[in-house]
Amino acid sequence: MTDQRLDLALEGLADTPADESAPAASIWQRGEPFVLGLLGILIVLLIWEAVPYVVTMKAGTKLFFTPPSQVAVTLWELFATGAIWAPLGVSAAGFAVGLAIAIVVGLPLGILIGRSATLNALFDPFITAFNATPRLVFLPLVLLWFGLGLWSKVVIVAFGAVFPLLINTHEGIRNADRLLINVVRSFGAGEWDVVRMVVVPNALPYILTGLRLAIGRAVLGVVVSEFFGSDQGLGVMMVQAASQYKVNIVFAGMIVFMTLSLTMTSILKLLERRLSRWRPQRVAGE
Amino acid sequence: MTDAAAPRLGFARPSRKLLIGSVAVVCFFIAWQAVFLFIPYNSLFITKPSLMFAALWRLTLSGQLFFDLGASAAPFFYGLIAAVVVGVPLGIVMGWRVRVGQALDPLMTALYASPLVALAPLVVIFLGVGIGGKAFIVFLLTVFDFVFNAYAGVRSVDPLLLNVVRSFGGGEKDLYAKVIFPSVIPYIVAGGRIGVGRALIGVLIGEFFAASEGVGYGIVRFGNFFALDSMFAYILVVTVIAVVLTQGIRWAERAGFPWRIGQ
Repeated sequence: MTDQRLDLALEGLADTPADESAPAASIWQRGEPFVLGLLGILIVLLIWEAVPYVVTMKAGTKLFFTPPSQVAVTLWELFATGAIWAPLGVSAAGFAVGLAIAIVVGLPLGILIGRSATLNALFDPFITAFNATPRLVFLPLVLLWFGLGLWSKVVIVAFGAVFPLLINTHEGIRNADRLLINVVRSFGAGEWDVVRMVVVPNALPYILTGLRLAIGRAVLGVVVSEFFGSDQGLGVMMVQAASQYKVNIVFAGMIVFMTLSLTMTSILKLLERRLSRWRPQRVAGE
Repeated sequence: MTDAAAPRLGFARPSRKLLIGSVAVVCFFIAWQAVFLFIPYNSLFITKPSLMFAALWRLTLSGQLFFDLGASAAPFFYGLIAAVVVGVPLGIVMGWRVRVGQALDPLMTALYASPLVALAPLVVIFLGVGIGGKAFIVFLLTVFDFVFNAYAGVRSVDPLLLNVVRSFGGGEKDLYAKVIFPSVIPYIVAGGRIGVGRALIGVLIGEFFAASEGVGYGIVRFGNFFALDSMFAYILVVTVIAVVLTQGIRWAERAGFPWRIGQ
């Protein structure tokens, strides 16, 4: 179980807040990481932009190359003409329904296997196997069963998103303080009260972490399922653009997916921080 | 964690869990086989475990399975090796030089969060459907796992340990050999565990898009022919490989870096 938490810790590492050991830092010192980060991105974009002026490309290679300014223009046009809304809506629908199903299945199941060792032992092989397996292998099968369109997308999204939720909920439930559970029991609480008053509040930050990872997987699920088995959506738009050598649209679509994914995950990160503020053990630095 | 309180159960508990788990898996296959006694069986829609294992046996004997596995394994390993070679030094530099880390962190985070899978069509058009294209997709999907884990590993180095080595007259070489590498390597292995799963995705995506051989291609082809027994056999093979790889690395982590278990 520790290793699963290690996974979580590792996957969350990219966002460890900067060291706050120097409270008297000047504005420049506090802003430095931000400025440096911005510079890093800008420099890469500039180099990318400058490549055609420095290197002469063959005609074939030119077909695949596009500078970031062109991508920005395409992105702007997609929004200005409104051409992006229809495919984006289709993708968003698949994302939302799939994630909703993952939550409805993952949360209760996670609580159940967290509270019962037998159920956990029963489900563990399947959870391990299906979590480790790239869900892509099921895609041809899912297409066969659900056809092109919304439902196969929903299945792929839900299938990918359910496992981070399930595993994190399970982990959070298992980590409930025995002492608190015993206290509540001593005062005559039943299993339902224990779950409601101690276990679930304790698991909340874990659940949010699970949700954050689930969102990342759900976005990937939308992309992948639209690439191989769908007739509408942003991913479909990108594949069609790629086959017509419209590289701009591919990158523009990627930026849209990236922005959505980053926005949603950072909102959840804020929520995680806000909701774990009350925890005494975190304050004590345990 | 709970085992510490009851050492007597420490042995019984894992074996009981293993027993229940194995029984559950066996029951799952039996139920799958038995359900067709009650509902009509449609071979265009699903397969039976018996047919699946028969197909697996057939494909193993004919050598088809090993041919496809070999075709998929090459880009898998090339891509992963390239990701380690590029990602680990980059992560170490990012961790060791604070400003480099600050400058590259947002860029890497954005790239890590973006669905790089989306570049697969471009990669396939550009590099072709052979080993090169697939290996590059694998590289793209896994390199950031190594970057971020090496980065985190260096940052987790205990400054106290560095100072101890320095106090006892250790040079730069000793710092690397005695402190930095031992603390970074477990992180890199953990990155490898996450990366292996993403590498499998990369290989499959490459083969779904366009390929003439490989496990992913096999799954799509069997699906197109409605040869569901063979398709399920391949899916089972991928599942087993995925589990063996991730659990194998996890086992190696426990065996190789026992001091990290409590962390």
